[in-house]
Amino acid sequence: MKRILNVAYYTFLEMVRNKVLFILFFFALFIFGLGIVITQMTIGDNLTIISDVGLATIEIFLTVLSIFLGISLVQKELSQKTLYPLLARPVSRAEYILGKFFGMLLLVIVAIVIMSVIFTILLFFYGGAGRIIDFLPAIYAIFLQTSTIISVAVLCSTLTEPAVAATLTISFYIIGATSYNLVYAITKRTSETVTKIITTLRYVLPDFNHFNIKDNLVYGRGLENLSLGVASIYALIIVVIVLSLSIIFFNAKEIN
Amino acid sequence: MTKPIEVKNLTKTFRHPMKVWDRIEAVRDFSFSVEPGEIVGFVGHNGAGKTTTIKMLMGLIWPTSGKISIFGKKPGDVSIKNKIGFLPERPYFYSQLSGMDVLKYFGKLSGLKGTTLIDRAEKILRQVGLYNDRNRRLGGYSKGMLQRIGLAQAIIHNPELVIMDEPMSGLDPVGRREVKEIIRSLKRDGKSVIFSSHILSDIENLSDRVLIIENGFKKSFGTVREIVDPDNIRYKIEFGGKDEMKDAAFSLFKGIRVASDRFIIDCESLEDFNSKLSTIVEKKYTVHEAGGTYPSLEEIVFSVKKEVGNEKNS
Repeated sequence: MKRILNVAYYTFLEMVRNKVLFILFFFALFIFGLGIVITQMTIGDNLTIISDVGLATIEIFLTVLSIFLGISLVQKELSQKTLYPLLARPVSRAEYILGKFFGMLLLVIVAIVIMSVIFTILLFFYGGAGRIIDFLPAIYAIFLQTSTIISVAVLCSTLTEPAVAATLTISFYIIGATSYNLVYAITKRTSETVTKIITTLRYVLPDFNHFNIKDNLVYGRGLENLSLGVASIYALIIVVIVLSLSIIFFNAKEIN
Repeated sequence: MTKPIEVKNLTKTFRHPMKVWDRIEAVRDFSFSVEPGEIVGFVGHNGAGKTTTIKMLMGLIWPTSGKISIFGKKPGDVSIKNKIGFLPERPYFYSQLSGMDVLKYFGKLSGLKGTTLIDRAEKILRQVGLYNDRNRRLGGYSKGMLQRIGLAQAIIHNPELVIMDEPMSGLDPVGRREVKEIIRSLKRDGKSVIFSSHILSDIENLSDRVLIIENGFKKSFGTVREIVDPDNIRYKIEFGGKDEMKDAAFSLFKGIRVASDRFIIDCESLEDFNSKLSTIVEKKYTVHEAGGTYPSLEEIVFSVKKEVGNEKNS
């Protein structure tokens, strides 16, 4: 466990000093700014709009961050040979993969804290700083969704080069984000057999609808019973399966 | 005592990048071992199989056939990794970390902690000449500095076996001298060292035994003296005599050379050497120097290359 934490800490340190991270932060600030502009141009409750935009910004920022940095986690170390001296240490390949994953997760947690502080300041200017407490479950759900994306990015990073890994991870995100609505739309218009196939497929495809708590909270519909528990278990299942696959593939890989 | 390294009938083939069914033999059926406290140098041209062999020793890639034993265990076994230090060829490290960060990272992974880790890191940084640059990020290090930090991380945990792929590459003469001194000090401390280099004089000066690899074949393994073919030893006699004897000397042997007040004669073989020496003594000349000279490692490697080239052409 100590070795996993060591790999995680230095992975975090290396990434936190990366310029890409600062560029992404500016990107996030830009979207927050855009949210303010939107509230000026839209008719409706400004606090609701800024809450919606704020939570969406956090989700987009974390998704982009986890895809951009996650896909190069292992591949960059392979191409730059930084992996060679590391694997010469008493670190198993499984510990290395887990360390990389948790390092990235640590970065995401720090990013969530910073983004939440900025979001709270924004809410304060619209007279609703206290609402951040209501939104915490939504932020936690975004964190869960991001952790599944990171695990897929790690898997893709152990298998292939960054460009292909990025395509695969983005595909995972798009499928996850659209599968629920897509399946719903298709099953409304097709035969019973196709409906059965599609419904079965739904259990295999990622479904980020489990993590979509923010709409309910922003529009005051409240938190459904067990929704956070279901989301946590769902994320845990995906992460465990995907990381296990990463470890299996990485153990079988020749580091050439 | 378990040998640090024992390799038996090692073979490694790779899939051909263009022809899927073809295999490329990178290392072909060779065996060698490394004794405790011994320095072994790997010699061979680019693509000879040195790095492939080192990667197999480190458990980064696996042999197609044959057996590798590192301290009695399989390469890559976590339980023996603390006994091994590794410097890869042209090492790159995390550009956003400082030299000190890297040593702390690798030291911690090897079980060092607290003041022991800091003291050890500072000592090694001084040894490799990077103490003043310890807090600079590696992104700003030169190639030679990266090589030094690579060496530092390889020995931070005081390993029993150090494996280095081209440790002198990218270093200036001062840096090379320092690295050579570190390798010597490792031997003095009873460590075993394997290193590969293109600089044959370095291999010759530092190594107890030399492994010459050509096209994946082990061409020779032993001390420089052991790997010399007795036919390649050059025998030479330097002799002199009174002025009246000098003209007669030229009629005694063909190809005689004169240097200062001495005659020098090269001999084709040990028999030729013995016969010429007897004649010189018989004729009452004074023998100043007589004996065999071993060819340098450079000459040996060059002759191996020529041999392999001829095998390819035939």
